[in-house]
Amino acid sequence: MGLSLRSWIANEGGKHCILITWLSVSAWIFWRTFILYCSGAEYHYLHKMLGLGLCISRASATVLNLNCSLVLLPMCRSILTVLRGTRQVSSKKARRLLDKSKTFHVTCGVAICVFSVVHVGAHLVNVVSFSVRYSDEFPALNVAHYRGQSVPGITGVLLVLVLFLMFTASSHSVRVGNYEIFWYTHNLFILFYVVLLMHVVGGALKYQTNVDAHPPGCIPANQTRAHSDTWPNQEVDGELVAESREMSLVCKEDAHFQPHFPQTWLWVLGPLCLYCGERLYRYIRCNASVTIVSVVRHPCDVIEVRMLKNSFKARPGQTLTVPGGLTCPTENKETFGIHVRVVGDWTDVLCPDWKLCCAACPRLYVDGPFGSPSEEVFNYEVSVCVAGGIGVTPFACIMHALLDEWRRYKLQRLYFVWVCRELNSFYWFAELLCGLHRKLWEQNRPDYLNIRLYLTTAQELQNLTDEKYRPLHSRLLIGRPKLKLLFEEIGRSNQHKKVGVFCCAPKGVSRELHKLCNSFSASGTVFEYNKESFS
Amino acid sequence: MGKIEWAMWANEQALAAGFIYLTGGIVGVAGQFSGWKFAAFGIAAGVFVCLLEYPRSKRIKGTNFERTGQYCFTVCVKAFGPLTRNYYVRAFLHAVLCIPGGFMLATVLGCVCLGIASLIYLSAAIHGEHWEPILPEAEPTKHVSQSIKQPPQNPPPRPPADMRRKRLDDLEAAAYVNPIPVRE
Repeated sequence: MGLSLRSWIANEGGKHCILITWLSVSAWIFWRTFILYCSGAEYHYLHKMLGLGLCISRASATVLNLNCSLVLLPMCRSILTVLRGTRQVSSKKARRLLDKSKTFHVTCGVAICVFSVVHVGAHLVNVVSFSVRYSDEFPALNVAHYRGQSVPGITGVLLVLVLFLMFTASSHSVRVGNYEIFWYTHNLFILFYVVLLMHVVGGALKYQTNVDAHPPGCIPANQTRAHSDTWPNQEVDGELVAESREMSLVCKEDAHFQPHFPQTWLWVLGPLCLYCGERLYRYIRCNASVTIVSVVRHPCDVIEVRMLKNSFKARPGQTLTVPGGLTCPTENKETFGIHVRVVGDWTDVLCPDWKLCCAACPRLYVDGPFGSPSEEVFNYEVSVCVAGGIGVTPFACIMHALLDEWRRYKLQRLYFVWVCRELNSFYWFAELLCGLHRKLWEQNRPDYLNIRLYLTTAQELQNLTDEKYRPLHSRLLIGRPKLKLLFEEIGRSNQHKKVGVFCCAPKGVSRELHKLCNSFSASGTVFEYNKESFS
Repeated sequence: MGKIEWAMWANEQALAAGFIYLTGGIVGVAGQFSGWKFAAFGIAAGVFVCLLEYPRSKRIKGTNFERTGQYCFTVCVKAFGPLTRNYYVRAFLHAVLCIPGGFMLATVLGCVCLGIASLIYLSAAIHGEHWEPILPEAEPTKHVSQSIKQPPQNPPPRPPADMRRKRLDDLEAAAYVNPIPVRE
């Protein structure tokens, strides 16, 4: 199936618009700065000394300014959560763009690395030029103290080192394998910004302040007098013309040079203060530690921790950060609970017999709640939720909310696809699923919830044998889900509708889903793809 | 999470550092800076480090993330046996390779980055990690169980059809015991 234009625009249009805008703005400021330093009058002498290296280094510096200020904004998660919540202000399209904030952060980060390489390369050439073309005519322009001196920029080297550490620890394998390395190195950003603010104060590159009085390329006054003395026999008219031409080219003053006001401060200080404020707020909020009320051990190495925290309010679908990653809270009147996989760190310490060893239970600090794409499930008439393994937690909170009161949402139909490797994993939320199914049948909405459970690795026939899980028993299928057929079926039953597709599953499944959403064109249905990620 | 695998981070660093060393060397040679011989060494060392660090090691626990096309590099690196397996050797090698880079401005960044990678490899070696090649696993041969080769010759023993027919009038007589016990 080839791409369907309508589906592609619905899914990818907004993202690509932002990308093209960002590329155009970067290209424009690069070009504008390049031209300014190449042909601006106040940089004439500096340009003569340094050449192309000056233009490229300054142009890349301006793009770096833009990206260093933009890179912080998508990470102000509390502010983005508030923006997401204000329904009057932002439309669904804007909220879907907010889902891509992490991708935008990564894009700006990569741009910073690339342009740093360009900037450093150009400055290396400048160092050579400063050394070789040491100017005796305009000593104020020089950075080297004498011809042949090599001048390293200490702050520049430090910046690249910090950037190197942050960049190498942000690769996918390190984030998945050793999240702490990524987290601690990424917090070096504050050192990066402090050194950046010092880096631009250096004032190595100067501009000329008195261009009117000393037009670049003018002849110094003492040289013109000598020139006119040697030509006493000119014709009267010719002499007047020659003299007047020389008068306009005569320097009235010597050239004065001055380093720039550090423009980077104007770009960077605003977002930096905003982000630091947000971190402080999150630190204060998360410092109120949570009281663990109960710990329940579920099959397949998963524990459910129910907690109590003052003034905690989470909307269904929002996420929490606990040491080791993200998870989704399920609210239940006073307490809220999270399901986490036991991986051997703090999760091991939490024992199921909390009554006996509560004193030994670790203090837990949770950060959140933060907005996430899964909050949008209720804003579509028809939604499809595809979960892989432990990725079911956002949808579990959605179902809790539906169990409370399903009538008040716009949602009319929910397709729930849950793919697991082991049969016991389904027991995490078997009761919740059965409870919701039963309630909807009793309230005469049997078509509201469509459950499909898939068990991918099964050697022999298995089933949920418990009598109370009968509804799931008949909806359990062995093998991988055939998503294309599922989409065709959903399309047939929901013609000319906009269907929200929510995915919290491994890469293979999410990629296939994304492709299907972009290429589906039958029955007038448009599938809008929303992806949740937990790393 | 849990135990930190330092070698993974050191590998990413060393690969990036090799690339920076290489780039700095190219700039130094192309610009004909003084001390360009160090830059030439930087190019060679950068290429060597990139080739050595390209194949990722197998993780102690969890899924392995192979780099695209790393199989041939894995085979080459594996051929050196303990020299490439041991991280103390790698830490020492990187430390030695980075020193000449410090003598020239263009390669000084590569030198410092490779030095940091060397220190992290040392930390990995102290924690007892070593390099394991990621090789494709051979498919285990499916064992066909004995009973399939010898299907039963006779049908299971049953009483004759009219005895098996349901006789509602005489339930006691209709019941029979299976001569061979039925397994669950």
